[in-house]
Amino acid sequence: MSKLSEDYTIDELMVVTLARQFTDADIMLNGTVSYIPVSAFMLARETHAPKLTWVAGAVGVDADPGYIVGNTLDPTMWKDCVMYLPQISDMWGYVHSNTLETFCIRGAQIDKYGNVNNSVIGKDYHRPKVRLPGSAGMGDMCSLHKKIYIWSTTHNPRTFVDKVDFLAAPGYLDGGDARAKLGLRNGPEVVVTDLCVMDFEPTSKRMRLKSVHRGVSAKQVQDETGFELVTPDHVLETPAPSVEEIELLRKKIDPKNMRKIEFRGSKTKV
Amino acid sequence: MAAGKENKVMSAAQAVGMIRDGDTVAIQGMGTQMSPLALVREIIKARKRNLIAAMIVGGIGLDWLIAAGCVKKVMAIIVNLDEFGMANAFRRAVEAGELMMEEYTEHQMLTRFSAGCYGLPFMTTQSGIGSAIVDLHPDTTKVIDCPFTGQKVIACRALTPDVCILHAHRADEVGNVQFFPKPIWGDVDVFPRASKKVIVTVEEIVSTDEIRRTPERTGLPYFKVDAVVPVKYGAHPCSLFPRYNFDRQVMERYAAESRTPEGTQAFLEKYVRAPRTQEDYLDLVGGSTMEARIQSFWS
Repeated sequence: MSKLSEDYTIDELMVVTLARQFTDADIMLNGTVSYIPVSAFMLARETHAPKLTWVAGAVGVDADPGYIVGNTLDPTMWKDCVMYLPQISDMWGYVHSNTLETFCIRGAQIDKYGNVNNSVIGKDYHRPKVRLPGSAGMGDMCSLHKKIYIWSTTHNPRTFVDKVDFLAAPGYLDGGDARAKLGLRNGPEVVVTDLCVMDFEPTSKRMRLKSVHRGVSAKQVQDETGFELVTPDHVLETPAPSVEEIELLRKKIDPKNMRKIEFRGSKTKV
Repeated sequence: MAAGKENKVMSAAQAVGMIRDGDTVAIQGMGTQMSPLALVREIIKARKRNLIAAMIVGGIGLDWLIAAGCVKKVMAIIVNLDEFGMANAFRRAVEAGELMMEEYTEHQMLTRFSAGCYGLPFMTTQSGIGSAIVDLHPDTTKVIDCPFTGQKVIACRALTPDVCILHAHRADEVGNVQFFPKPIWGDVDVFPRASKKVIVTVEEIVSTDEIRRTPERTGLPYFKVDAVVPVKYGAHPCSLFPRYNFDRQVMERYAAESRTPEGTQAFLEKYVRAPRTQEDYLDLVGGSTMEARIQSFWS
């Protein structure tokens, strides 16, 4: 066990926590503005999962850009890849056949069953209070049997809502066996936020507090969540990153601090 | 209808003449890369109206078209400026009820184009089962039972745009279009093949002999291409990898100025409507300083 970091920041803890979810067997794709998951894939490859496959920008198979140069869909990410994956025949074929089984998403609204919305705020889709960018690949991945890892840099009651205004990406729908009944396998596994780590209670499929980040209490997490979290009697602290992980992230993987762009609208300062 | 082997080189203004008001236009693009933005500026100058923009990712070009009043409906999976944030004209127009956003999952949209390529009435996907997206457009996506297994699948109605507009590295005069590298996105694959007419801007025109020496780079054959327009830096301010990077300075300026409707219109006036030619435009965005700015991908 290497020495634990003492000066890590929340963005770094989120990357490390996400990285630790992935194994050598995973084949990961990434989408737009996904600095935290891309950092996590690169970190996992540098540490415990050297054989993890990352298809950069859903194009560059097993790419090795060295560090995060620009945005996560930029061609610079494809550097030293072994193949440009043709999108329709190959990429979507591997996704449908579940050769690719894992995906990371985020959104403006996430509800207690892990349903996610990044399309509109307001009840009328066609005349929304706020028009958001759109669902991109989320609606695909969440209905195509993927294990879903959700990340959010804005853990507050506006993001974590009782029910999403628009159900773009299906999590566990209304909970229980609702997802399975539609024939959808897998679903949301873990939620990593700027305050805590959560998973889903196996029977009800409700979001459950798993660990809180250093200096955060379970009560604080509940206060910042727009629904009642399943909370165990004893909530652990999120394991700290190692000195080695933090050094890799700061010096090698993301020296330009691109991941911090994701905290623009967050109360958490990084 | 197949195009012939005639010389198809023309000006951007002539090419845009192929687009009629009300047309469905498939527009290549990502947040910051590979988009036919010189043609987009020409469409705005030609005051096209009521266009339906069919895209996967809508970026800065779509936002300009919306701000200029050219678009009545968008079909896409996401509209934003990638790391530069929201597409503000898009957002304001939808919120005001002036623009219809017909949102799809990515594979629903690609499946609609694919059906269009094959001349089939529809093709199916499972992408979007359980998502409310499928219910947004009952005229184009519908959950049906597989006739063999009973599984739920989504029928996606064929999409055959009137025109497809693309930017590429190079082509010959008859319209053999080359990309290098050649990542095969839907934008350069099913977009043109499903469309009735295809307009391609290229950085340079080369001889057919040169094309014959490098056929592995050809993405579109001459019989699918109707217009070839030579436009240097035709994707600016987006990138054309690996020839030039996106222009951070112009992207940031638009992201900032488009926060208000007045700022957006002032930007359009200055950078889109005022420059008479592509050369005027390139001078305006910095000329040789701009070229230096977008030379490197690795910083």
